[in-house]
Amino acid sequence: MSSTISGLTFLMLALYGLAAVAALVFYRHPKLANVIPNIITIVAAFTGTTASIIHLLSDANRIYLGNLITSVPYLSFELSMDRLSAFFILVLSILTLAVSIYSIGYLTHYYQRRNVGLFNFLVNLFILAMAGVLLSENMIAFLLSWELMSLLSYFLVIYEAEEAGNQRAGLIYLIMTHLAGAFLFIAMGLIYKSCGSLALSSTLAGAPVWVKNLLFCCFLIAFGTKAGIIPLHIWLPYAHPAAPSNVSAYMSGIMLKIAIYGFIRFVFGMLGAEFQWWGTALLIIGLFTTILGAAYTLVEHNIKRLLAYCSIENIGIILIGLGVACLAFSTGQLLISALALTATLFHLLNHTVVKGLLFMGAGAVLHTTHTKDMENLGGLLKRMPITGVFMLMGSLAISAIPPFNGFVSEWLTLQALFVYIANATSGIKVLLIMTLAALAMAGSFAAASFVKFFGISFLGLPRSENAAKAKEVPQTMLWGMGLLAGLSLLLGILPLVMVRLLDQVVVGVTGATLSSSLRGSSFMMYYPVTVMKNSLTPSTVLIIGIILVITVWLIVRILSWHGKEREYGTWDCGFNGLNARMQYSATGFSKPLRIIFRALYRPNREFEVEPGVSVYFPKSVHYDTTTEPVFEKYLYLPISGALTGFARKFRMIVQTGSIHRYLIYILVTILLLLLYFRCFS
Amino acid sequence: MENYLQFLSIAILLSGFILVANKRVDSYIKTFRLQSVLLALVAGLIGVGNIAREGNWEIMIVCLITLAIKVYYIPHLLKKTVQKVQYKVEKDFFLNIPISVLICCALVIIIYFVVPHIDDLRNANLQVYLANAMALVLIGLFFMISRKKAIGQIIGFLVIENGLFTAAILSTEGMPMIVELGIFFDLLTAVLIMGILVFRINENFESIDLDKLRNLRG
Repeated sequence: MSSTISGLTFLMLALYGLAAVAALVFYRHPKLANVIPNIITIVAAFTGTTASIIHLLSDANRIYLGNLITSVPYLSFELSMDRLSAFFILVLSILTLAVSIYSIGYLTHYYQRRNVGLFNFLVNLFILAMAGVLLSENMIAFLLSWELMSLLSYFLVIYEAEEAGNQRAGLIYLIMTHLAGAFLFIAMGLIYKSCGSLALSSTLAGAPVWVKNLLFCCFLIAFGTKAGIIPLHIWLPYAHPAAPSNVSAYMSGIMLKIAIYGFIRFVFGMLGAEFQWWGTALLIIGLFTTILGAAYTLVEHNIKRLLAYCSIENIGIILIGLGVACLAFSTGQLLISALALTATLFHLLNHTVVKGLLFMGAGAVLHTTHTKDMENLGGLLKRMPITGVFMLMGSLAISAIPPFNGFVSEWLTLQALFVYIANATSGIKVLLIMTLAALAMAGSFAAASFVKFFGISFLGLPRSENAAKAKEVPQTMLWGMGLLAGLSLLLGILPLVMVRLLDQVVVGVTGATLSSSLRGSSFMMYYPVTVMKNSLTPSTVLIIGIILVITVWLIVRILSWHGKEREYGTWDCGFNGLNARMQYSATGFSKPLRIIFRALYRPNREFEVEPGVSVYFPKSVHYDTTTEPVFEKYLYLPISGALTGFARKFRMIVQTGSIHRYLIYILVTILLLLLYFRCFS
Repeated sequence: MENYLQFLSIAILLSGFILVANKRVDSYIKTFRLQSVLLALVAGLIGVGNIAREGNWEIMIVCLITLAIKVYYIPHLLKKTVQKVQYKVEKDFFLNIPISVLICCALVIIIYFVVPHIDDLRNANLQVYLANAMALVLIGLFFMISRKKAIGQIIGFLVIENGLFTAAILSTEGMPMIVELGIFFDLLTAVLIMGILVFRINENFESIDLDKLRNLRG
């Protein structure tokens, strides 16, 4: 069994490599460079899915895949796969499968404009690097893959480099990702110093307390930056609108989750999640990330930036789950910890599926209308019905509406919170109740955001020429989206299948299993821990919903049996002259919340009226509103300003341009080193 | 032979002091030539010993190359350069001569304070050789710092190289031939390039005073 799994895993890695090479070989023929590598990637993703599912169903926990030892000391690369990595490989493969089908159609608009071969080369190496992070067994391999992943994604973000703002977005991303890398390197050095081994499976049980706390902080900053926790999130809203949509799907769908993987791997596996304050810190950060992410989602009207903020919100929910798991683990309530971790991983999977779908949908909209601004969209549902339906499914799922998958995982997270409230100490209890309230509020924000997202872009009348001329996207793109939309519905109706699979993963991390308290078949699902009589059956909800719809439809039918049918425009009250400017705009939709949360958004408004014959008939009205990027303005700009100011002053004092002074620096350095040698060695 | 080598090693160090005490550019070149002659003597002494013991001619060849390049060619080249850039006789140093010599004494003392501490050097002779050579390197660096004219920097650079050469030849009894040749070639190119650069500086700034070059900053 284990040889099958390792064989399939190696096949997957080799195929990704082959796809990258194929993309380079055919780079002169855009069509070949698009289709052939993507087909190989699809096969690779399918292999990866199979390998990880076989692994999750088998009894084996850690499968050693092999190592590459070089003659340079410490420079060896070891690969292995345990259940946790297998789960993440599964998530990665599912997303890759859908996105690479989608890419075949999406990349057609780059033909003759850009090097499609280069794009596919970078994407495949990027996926390979992510798989490398998940499979690596020692820190050298982990760090190498991590840095490769960061750098390759940077090149993908600036793929459309000459468009305004994209290079700046790339630079911000590069700086933030190096911040993460730096802290990761510090952490690795500390680990090696305190346990003398580079293996990821080594434990730090005997290390001093301060080392553990320092390591936790390093990991929090390193993985938090990558995952996009507030206030380290600033790269996300820039990078996603800049990147091509399929890259956004990869980055938001799986790269952010790789950071969560790292967190679980190091904080649970290596550090043993010992201290209560770790969980508390995660919970508080998760709380703020969720609320603020959701709040910013609401006022955004660039569709890709809206999705980026929504990713931040969901990372917050994942962190809340992780925080509860960590807290319960440190107090020894393993069952609750297992429940929370299951919820976390489930939400992570769901977010991958749904956010992948939504970014692909945004890409489809961009593909036909060439705009990311919601104020220029509208009426797309009639023009691209299939994409529209998929996007509606995605919007419902991300807003946690049953019977879609987003509901199940958020419900599980809430349940974990409820159970923990019953078992926690009073200080934590207050925090947990606040978190519950925050989750509820963020949920409503998210729902409102996606009502806006779907309503403004897909319903109503087209607000621009481009939107009016929109056509349905190519078949392959629809298949890619359809795959994830179907999966989203399936996971929502039959969540227990996934929960049982996740239980296998969670046992490896927390040591507790939920399987004894899982009751019911896959069709009917019960609340996993038998404390309260809370139960959930999404499939029943679906059936009841369908029955209700049919009943209502029948009742309406029967009541209007003798009525006449008339056809006229909706809402126009016989006026017959409705145009696009009379409908609700995205800015208008979020106006009430902008007023209520003025302290948070600090909106700036520009209002210009060119007067006409009367105040009621102005010639033109211009209204523009922007929200202030609070974190950039009050946190990042002061820091970077102080740094550059210091550097400038330092340059004037130290770097005078005089050769003699430079020679003096050399002499003084040599003398100091000699004296250091004499006195301290 | 050990006595002669020790004497020469100290003589080379002393020539460094003489250099620091020089006031004219002409005398810099003369002192450098003197130092190179002493260096060639060291190489010759070791070379003769090697021939007598093992019939190994390599060090002798190094000695001859030293004579040709460091004693004859480089001073000749520098003299020509100095003659071509007509410069006024003016004060060329930042610190006066007694203070410079005192600072060099301090450098020697620091080196003698540090070198006996190196664990792998138990041989007393070797300690003296290495200390003298290292002191010469630091004196060369200090010479570069204390002189304003570009010629001073070139001489200082050559003195640093001489110090390294002494250290290498006295502590290892001769490095492999190929390494020596490489270093000579390097040095020759460096001096040629620096000579040309001095011309360019003179053309652009009407002087070879490095104090006027202030653009070397980021």
